[in-house]
Parts: sequence; structure tokens; C-alpha cells
Amino acid sequence: MAGVRLLGLTKRFGAVAAVDNLNVEFPDAQVTCLLGPSGCGKTTLLRMIAGLEQPSGGQIFFDHDEVGEWSASRRNVGMVFQSPVVYPGLTVYDNVALPLRGTLPEAELRQRVGEVLELVELQAVAERKADSLGNAERQKVSVARAVARRPRVLLFDEPVTNIAAGERVTLKRAFKRLTTEVRLTLVYVTHDQTEAMTLADYIAVMRDGKLVQYGPPRSVYRAPRDRFVGWFLGNPGMNFVEIGAPGEDGGSLFSGAGPQLKAPAMVGFRPEYVEVLSDPEPASIEARVMRAPITVGGQHLLTLKAGDTTFKAKTDYRQTYATGQTVYVKIPADQLRWFDPAREELSPPVPGDAE
Amino acid sequence: MPPSVAPWWRRRLPPPLFAWLLVVPVLAFFAIWNIVPLLWMIGLSFYRYILTFGVNPVYVGLQNFSQILQDYNVWAHIGLTVLFVIGAVGVETLLGVLLGFAFWGQTTLPGRRLALTLLFSPMVLAPVAVGTFFRLIYDPMYGILPYYIHQFFGVPAPNLLGNGSTAFLSVLATDVWMWTPFMILMTIAALGAVPRAMLEASAVDRLSIPRRLRYVIWPHAKFILVLGVLLRTIDAFKTFGLVSAMTAGGPGNATQLISLTLYREAFDSFSMGSASALALFALFIAIAFTSIYLFVLNYQKREVAAE
Repeated sequence: MAGVRLLGLTKRFGAVAAVDNLNVEFPDAQVTCLLGPSGCGKTTLLRMIAGLEQPSGGQIFFDHDEVGEWSASRRNVGMVFQSPVVYPGLTVYDNVALPLRGTLPEAELRQRVGEVLELVELQAVAERKADSLGNAERQKVSVARAVARRPRVLLFDEPVTNIAAGERVTLKRAFKRLTTEVRLTLVYVTHDQTEAMTLADYIAVMRDGKLVQYGPPRSVYRAPRDRFVGWFLGNPGMNFVEIGAPGEDGGSLFSGAGPQLKAPAMVGFRPEYVEVLSDPEPASIEARVMRAPITVGGQHLLTLKAGDTTFKAKTDYRQTYATGQTVYVKIPADQLRWFDPAREELSPPVPGDAE
Repeated sequence: MPPSVAPWWRRRLPPPLFAWLLVVPVLAFFAIWNIVPLLWMIGLSFYRYILTFGVNPVYVGLQNFSQILQDYNVWAHIGLTVLFVIGAVGVETLLGVLLGFAFWGQTTLPGRRLALTLLFSPMVLAPVAVGTFFRLIYDPMYGILPYYIHQFFGVPAPNLLGNGSTAFLSVLATDVWMWTPFMILMTIAALGAVPRAMLEASAVDRLSIPRRLRYVIWPHAKFILVLGVLLRTIDAFKTFGLVSAMTAGGPGNATQLISLTLYREAFDSFSMGSASALALFALFIAIAFTSIYLFVLNYQKREVAAE
């Protein structure tokens, strides 16, 4: 296993920079999720690390080896593609064993393949033809094939996107098992934040070919560097409210907040941290329920309006809400994030901030 | 007004009849130009019928066939034809696959598209025209090839087509010139059928080139490639115009392919009965060739199905 370091990595397609001067290090034996909306350049970045795409500029290091000029074969990476790749006509076992044939003694090979097949729970179908299996199992085969080789770096390119929704769960569970039981340098591309949150040791959020934020999932989630990351992470994303001069509308909602604002400012807060009360409390304000659908998790996803400010709140499943109902809302001061409204970036912590 | 939007003539006809009406023109065409002449030919092959004699056809049973089977010359010509097919298709496939791989690997080569377009040019020429040009190229007096052989090797300009030992190879080489591009294109098409992700996966998996050929490229490319070989085989088996224009079967019988024998029998001797029998015989050989290829092609599929 090896750490991956990217120095000024750039890929241009004509005038468009798919990946724009990227500098980052994905640590050894850690799972890094590249997260971003479609077309943000994350797959292009992964393909450059794999050696399937030629960078327009910059360097790629695996530990101390500069691999930018190396062919995909020489780099010794393992890759799982968006659509499952299995070698046709071969059994599951032979699919996993094929790249190892000739590099390992037969006994060791058998043991290695057996271990990996067990890890992804494919022992039962080891002697079946790989191309006769369903999509999810084929994807497991390609994961097993990549892992069995013990490559320096493992690269997963949206491995569950082309899998039927019902089968995704088993695949994700296999990935989770894989990442907890084997320490791998894994770079995992996804646009699904739930996947990223559950698998990653580190998250790298990308937008328009640039790295926006990099860090452990929890800290990226709690302290998004800019408005985009706040909106993109979380379901639904962060609420943002622009506040005019002190005393103007909207300000009252956050009057309980600590910092003395130099208005104007922008405040961000997550829907799940909004406390919705049926009776007024100190520092709570009145709001009206505009919409109250139920989320996948059984929670209520409220659209609330306080004065002219509309925002979302996620609440307990036990309460019931009716459209038009009046509720009282409180937001803990330590869950507020202050943004510079002009650049939409997180303001540096000011004295007195709860952070 | 009924909700149906079908035109009146569709509503009046029962659906099966309408379907039949759509197929009938094709079937009629096929019947008139293919089935009837074939049946006619099969019928004629049991008769002695020589156009120039002015005598009505005489039923002779299997006599035409027994004559063919006993005729040493016919067997020699069939043998020569099989040799021609194996030689031409073999060399064309080999060269075509090698050059096809070269083309396939060079996607950024400048002028690639133009070169691919030029590759088509020999194929669109009439075989008679190609034969005529190559007869001039091979001509011992004016031909450019004997001239350069003379210049480089210091030997007198050879009469390539007039010599029994070189005529066959010269004709074969012309066929290779004409049809190798076809196999190049078939190879490029076959390689295009290999999924890109699979090629990338095999590169990332560090599979050796022979393994990539065997486990990744061959399973996806074989259908189109074998189809190309099949088409070439059938086509080479009935090569006529090229040889007719170059040597007309000579010198002696050195380039006497079965198609030329057939032509002579039918249009020199006007012996329609025996020519029909010979044509039928050639048809069976072509069908046999085709069946063998299809058998090989489907072999693995049947294996999987039997599993």
C-alpha cells in the first residue's frame, strides 16, 4: 500500500479544465472518498491516478515514486469500474485468480483467492461462470480481483451506480467489511454522500475540477468551508440565511447566537439541529409550518417560515405537524456557522464564537 | 368515430393478412430470382442438354454427376480452388489482423481517417478491372514489376503470368492486394466490439498481452472476425473476374479455378446439363465450408448452454 500525492495535477479537454491544479495527499491505508456532483472531474482524477488518462500537467506520486509517466500496468493499482468488468467464460474463482497466475505458487494463490472470495461473500458461487451472475455479484468479482492482487492503491469509480437499488445494500455492506478488515489505500469516487460518510476516513469534496474541502467526514460535515459544501453534504443540505444590519428581519432568529456580528453576514445551520417546540421557550421564535412531508427515515422534513425567512428542519417522527400550524423554533448557538456573504466562505472564527 | 387511428385499408384487412402483404414483395423477388433458377438448375443437372445441338433435353439421371466425380480434371480444378481459397484467405486474414491491430492502436495518428478511406478503394473496383491492371503490371514487356525485378536482381524480366510455376502465386498475390483491406476493416470492427472498460481493466490488472488477447479481446472480437473470414471464403471460392482477366485459367491449367471450368462448360461448350451439375457440386462445397465455420463459431456457445 502507498499514499497518493498529487501536485498541481491538471487535465484539460480543449478549453475546459476537468481537473484544475489539484494539490492533495491521500494517506496510506486510509479510505478517501472523492465526492462531488456529476461532471466535477472526480472520475477524470481517478483515471489519471490509474494511468488511464494522461494529465495535462502536474505530478502524481505513490509514496516517493513519481508515476505520472508510468503505464497503468506498471503502476500496480487495482480498479473497479462503474459497470462491472468480469472476464467472460471464466469462473468466479478463475476471474480472481487470472491476474495472479504465474506470480504466485499454486498453494498460496489458492489461499489468497479463497480469503478474498470469503471477504466479499462469493465462496458459494466460486465455481459458477462469472458472466452468468447478476450485476451486484459481478461487481463483487471485480472488487475481489482488484483486492486479491494487493495493489499499491485501490481505485473505485462509482461502483454501485449501475447496480439495481435493491442489490446496492449488499454491495455497500461488502465494501464496509472490506475497508474495516483490510487496511487499504482506497480512493472511492461517488456522488452519493451517504456512501462517502459511511466508508470514508477522509472526504475530498470537488467542484468544477477544484478541490473545495478535504478532511475527516465529521469535520467536513460540521464545518463546511463554503456554502457549496454545506449545501452538498447533508440531506437536505444546510440552511442559509442572509442577515442584514442588526435588528433587521431574520436577525431575531439568531439572537441567541454568541458572536457580535459585523453585518451583513450569512448564517448556515443544518436542518437536523433545529429544535422544533410546540410551546415558546426562552430564545425561541415563532414560525409557521409551510410543508411537512415525511422523509425516508420516517422523520418529518418541515419547511418553516419565520418572518420572511424560509428554512428547513428535520424533526422527530413522534410529533405530527399540520400545514399552517404555528411552532416555536430554537437553534443552538454552537450549531450556527457564519459565512462571509460576499465570498460565501466560512468566516474565520471571531472571538466569542462557540467554536 | 372509433378511437382507432389506423387507415381504412388496415382496418379492413385482418392483421395476419396485412403482415403477409408486407412480406410478399420480398418473397416474390426472392422466389423469382433465387428459388426458381436454383430449382431449374437442379432440374437441369439430371438432363443432357446442349444448347448448340438443337435437341430437347434428355433425361440421363445421375450421369452428369458420375461424370464429374470421375473426371480427374474437375477434381484437379477443385483442389486448385481450395488451395487458392486457403492461401488467399489465410494470408489476407493474417495481414488484415496484424494491420488492423496497428490501425487500432494508433487512434491519434494523423491522416488515419484518410488512410481508412483509401483502404476501401481496392474493394470497390471491379475484379475484371483489377485483373486487367495487374495483367499489365505483370506484363514481361511493359510491366513495372518485371522491370524492377530485372533492375534489382539482375535477372531477365520474368513472365510471371506466362509461367506455370509463378502464375498461381501472382494471381493469389493480386487477390491478397484486393481483399486484405477488407480483413483490416473487419479486424478494426471486431476490435471495436471489445468494451473499453474491459481493455482498461485488463491493463490495470496487469494481464500479459497473450492473456488479454485470449480472455478479453477474442471473446468479444471473434464473431465479427469469423464472419469476415466466412465472407472472404465464400467470395474467394467463386473468384472469377480476376483470374479470367489475368490468365483465363492458363498457362495450361495452372490457374484453372472451378468457376472458370464452370464457365467454359456452360458458355464454351453450351453443355447446360453438366454445367448445372458442376454448379450444384460447387454449391455443396461452399455450403460445407460455411457449415464448418458456423460449427466452430457456435461451439463455445453450445458448451455453455449444455452446462
